[in-house]
Amino acid sequence: MTHSLARLALAAFLAALGFLLPTLLGGSTLVYDTLVAIAIFAAMSYGLDVILSDLGEISLVHTAFFATGAYAAAILTVTYGFGAWTALAGAVLAALLLALVLGVITLRTREFAFSLVTYAAAVVCMNVASNWDFLGGSDGIVGIPPLDLSIGPIELTAGRSAEFWPFAYLLLLLTLYVVHRFRRSRLGQAALMVHMNPRLATMCGLDGNRIRLQVFLLSAVISAAAGWLYAFQRAYVGTDLFETYFLVLMLTGVILAGRRILLGPLLGTALLLSQKSFASLGAYGDKLVLGVVLVAVLCLCPRGLASLWPKVRGFTRRPAQSQSQSPAAADAAPTEIPAASTRHA
Amino acid sequence: MLSRRSVLAGLASAPLVPAFARAADPIKVGLIIPLSGGAGRQGQDVTHAVQGMAALINESGGVLGRPVEILVRDDESTPAIGVAKANELAAAGVAVVLEGWNSPVTLAMQSVLARAGILDITMISKADAILASASNPLAIRLNSANVQDAAIIAQYLGSKTRRARIVFVTENDAYGNGAQQGIEAEFKKAGLDYTIAQTLKFPFPQTDFRVEITSIRDAKPDYVISINANEGAGLPAFLQQYAQGQVGVPVICTVGTVGPSVIETTGKAANGLHSADIYFPETEPFASNPENKRFVAQMQKQFKTEPDKFMALGAASLQVWAKAAAKAGSLERKAVAGAIRGQEIPGTIFGTVRFEPNGQMQHRHFVFTVKDGKIVVES
Repeated sequence: MTHSLARLALAAFLAALGFLLPTLLGGSTLVYDTLVAIAIFAAMSYGLDVILSDLGEISLVHTAFFATGAYAAAILTVTYGFGAWTALAGAVLAALLLALVLGVITLRTREFAFSLVTYAAAVVCMNVASNWDFLGGSDGIVGIPPLDLSIGPIELTAGRSAEFWPFAYLLLLLTLYVVHRFRRSRLGQAALMVHMNPRLATMCGLDGNRIRLQVFLLSAVISAAAGWLYAFQRAYVGTDLFETYFLVLMLTGVILAGRRILLGPLLGTALLLSQKSFASLGAYGDKLVLGVVLVAVLCLCPRGLASLWPKVRGFTRRPAQSQSQSPAAADAAPTEIPAASTRHA
Repeated sequence: MLSRRSVLAGLASAPLVPAFARAADPIKVGLIIPLSGGAGRQGQDVTHAVQGMAALINESGGVLGRPVEILVRDDESTPAIGVAKANELAAAGVAVVLEGWNSPVTLAMQSVLARAGILDITMISKADAILASASNPLAIRLNSANVQDAAIIAQYLGSKTRRARIVFVTENDAYGNGAQQGIEAEFKKAGLDYTIAQTLKFPFPQTDFRVEITSIRDAKPDYVISINANEGAGLPAFLQQYAQGQVGVPVICTVGTVGPSVIETTGKAANGLHSADIYFPETEPFASNPENKRFVAQMQKQFKTEPDKFMALGAASLQVWAKAAAKAGSLERKAVAGAIRGQEIPGTIFGTVRFEPNGQMQHRHFVFTVKDGKIVVES
């Protein structure tokens, strides 16, 4: 009880600290812009993270869910004049509908075939958006109003990045909470079993396809919610939302820190966007850095940068341990690392 | 020892020092354009042109007595990056942003800059929505509009034949689709009996057109209209592959897509193609325009290059803004926009220019053919 209260207090402290981060970093517009982008794109990446980490599949259609959230927000506010709350409900419903259709089609396949089919689905979605006037065609939809989530007398509006920060941060926290709860839920445990040991899952009476579809729906809603907020922040949606920029951002964000780590996509996205904002080497230089980092991570630590942590910790503790432990005990310690780290491979 | 009078005098004069420093501080002008990827080379040329014009403006005393400093950012032809760079420049305190090669990037940046209260001048992007967007009621664009370009293409084709089969090879985005719609509308308006034998759409980065060229040959058209703004890679690739394919049907490129850099990259394959444009540094009325002569000399002196249309538009954007700010006596967004939209501005690279009330600059078009690797202006 005391332990869980302490953890809750620590989480609350970290959440409050995170909220104050822009101020602690100087509070410049650039800091706010970067942190708002990190929060939104990290939330977007968690949608893919759930599929990649918990179902073990690489979905290439999650840009379509992100775009669906953004397009729903744009159409409902610009074309029909609805408010941001209705737009959020519309974004969630539209993403659920699209995920249901795509899930039924794509989740029959596995691994490489799944990736290929989801990529094809993303291309189809992009072409539909480019050529359907209802979605703005190739021009996209301009003139999305500033975010207004006011409830009665409580004014909750945002136009500029500093004003967007509380909303983007809240979205990120909610996303973290949902992913955390999901992984501890019956669905999350079942998804992991379906992924890690499908035969055992079947023997336990689990319907693999149904569980995969449920996880797919959840992941679509997460990415769509991020797209909804992004539409208000950018005030314009277009077919570029389907492009590889966002897909690469999602995939790299998830892979960089490591799979099935709650803060992984956030750290990965933060690393990528911070480099671009504060230490940019120009377009070619940034792409070179991204390529080198990706190759290095995938070749040297395929389970992500976080997998280095036990080794670093072991390295820093070794001198102290070598004084207190017997040679046998010291030799035994490293063998625990791969055993622990292969748990989710 | 300090006397009370000297301390008071010091305190009284203290605010004057920073005030004087502020007056001499450079005015920051943002420039957002692709510096990498397919349009990277053209973006770098435009950057040089803007920097060249900034040097000329600074030589003449700057804007409102202050020098101009250009802050350049690469949008990588990606709207999301354009938005990030627009925010970055807003944070840097720029007075104006000159932007726009790709229409989707311009559309994405417009509202961000408008919300930040920064004047946004579109140099090149052509989508109609740029001037129609409610999110930027003070839009300004220097490049010719799709509708203006469409009229000159229809006029040129109409002078050749009144009945023909046409194939469009169209970039599938805001610019390409808008341009094609405009040309088709102008065909109807001019009463031309043209059949659209086929429309072949392709994504902006595409460089392999062999499938499309086979389809063109099968469609047996009288003219091929190419709408391809990827001047750095896609258009030269198409023209080279088209020449290799020996289709033998005349190609008309949409207005402003064939600059000297395209002809140089394309080589012999560019010979025979037709297009139209709004600026030729060595042709009248530009050749005798003192402002243009000064700009051309500056480009040759500073960068050892001859400006093309895109470079002229970039430089003219800065020049128009500087003249409007001087006329308004302010750097404030609405005041400067008011001195441009619906107004006439004399003494620019393009001579005396007129802006429509919606912010669109008016142009005169010149039709040309490429012969022996050179642009030969017909009218």
